[in-house]
Amino acid sequence: MATHPTHYAHPEALVETDWLEKHLKDEGIRIVESNEDVLLYDTGHIPGAVHIDWRADLQDPVIRDYISPEKFARLCSRHGITPDTTCIFYGDKANWWACYALWAFRLFGHEKVKILNGGRDKWKAEQRPMTREVPKYPTTNYLVPKKRFDEEIRAFFDEALAQSKSGKPLIDVRSPGEYRGEITHMPEYPQEGVLRGGHIPGAKSMPWKTATNDDATFKPAAELAKIYFDQCGVGPEKDTVVYCRIGERSSHTWFVLTYLLGLENVRNYDGSWTEWGNKVGAPIEKSA
Amino acid sequence: MSKVCGKLDEAGTALDSGGTYPVKLNKIIDLFESLPEDERRETLVSYADNAKKQEPLQDEKFDLADVRKDEECTDTVGVYLHVDENGKAHIRMTLGPEVQTLTRSMTAILCKGLEGSTPQEILDLPGDFVRRIVGGELVRIRSQTVYYVLTRIKSICKVWLDRQRMAQVA
Repeated sequence: MATHPTHYAHPEALVETDWLEKHLKDEGIRIVESNEDVLLYDTGHIPGAVHIDWRADLQDPVIRDYISPEKFARLCSRHGITPDTTCIFYGDKANWWACYALWAFRLFGHEKVKILNGGRDKWKAEQRPMTREVPKYPTTNYLVPKKRFDEEIRAFFDEALAQSKSGKPLIDVRSPGEYRGEITHMPEYPQEGVLRGGHIPGAKSMPWKTATNDDATFKPAAELAKIYFDQCGVGPEKDTVVYCRIGERSSHTWFVLTYLLGLENVRNYDGSWTEWGNKVGAPIEKSA
Repeated sequence: MSKVCGKLDEAGTALDSGGTYPVKLNKIIDLFESLPEDERRETLVSYADNAKKQEPLQDEKFDLADVRKDEECTDTVGVYLHVDENGKAHIRMTLGPEVQTLTRSMTAILCKGLEGSTPQEILDLPGDFVRRIVGGELVRIRSQTVYYVLTRIKSICKVWLDRQRMAQVA
């Protein structure tokens, strides 16, 4: 039986709430809040944090795609971020959207990224400082990234299909009911418009939440390794694709596999079930 | 009551259907439509802050109470209805801690805007005003629960009206 790691592969990719409270005013960092609740930042946030809206800021308004490198550069410049700035992401829903924003920053080659372990809920539960004051930072001149790293960390439909056909690791991080095809929306959420329920053939079910503790922090490395190496069949030598409905829950799992377990070939299929479940000609499975 | 402006939804369906907005709600709609986007957000947050004030007062009596957690909602929502001797509705609401900010905003807006309307007027209320208050930018697929509060309020009014009709028949 393979030996499992006892430490995260990249522990520097996480910061704890206690550390962050002591470093709120550090030079060279930018705290970034990204939430599902569109007004949550306005109700109060970590002092100094800027807000990045997963849809309005990161997604193209017309094409189902991310913004251009030019727009990304403008977004970062507006928030006083340079390519050397360490962006510390946090948010609601156990950091779904924080991980999504982090993944989007990586799409544009921004390397210095971290997640606040436990996210907004843990920070608030610990009664750490919050403010409604929106910070203003001097505008920077973020150089337009030369490319978007789609090939490296993003999977499109054809690649997800190839992954399915080849039998390589494909992880469905949605709820078990969505995976089995019993429901076509997240539990406790409205419909997002998908015609068929089920999962991509060959995908293994491992809900995103399996990677977290009750306080939204990540489980220890050894536990994560058991979950993903033993139960999902992922490993250092294997290409892995993760998906959910629109790519935010799978960003969470992408972060776990890439930063906490150190896998180098993980891609997030952000088209996910809202593309696959509606796509003409796409095969589905409904097995348990 | 204020006459609803004639408008069509994206499918070309008439939204007004001759319906009207209660005066208090209409004032709130006018206020939001006059605000620039950043102030609209601030005002929505102010209303969200006030959602807790819409909870039932101690010893307050109600004709109907409907407290439940629906499949499409992240937390429990309670709606309480009292109809006074003049036939005017008074609505109180409770929200679980996981309910989103926009839903909290709409709770306070509707409790205040519908105060003193009749159950039938509430039932006839067209839903197009929600977007006029919240703005197109904030109404998203995952923010559709802003409509949920209105649906729940209408639902309790319908139950009250049905019971009234049944009592009259009996």
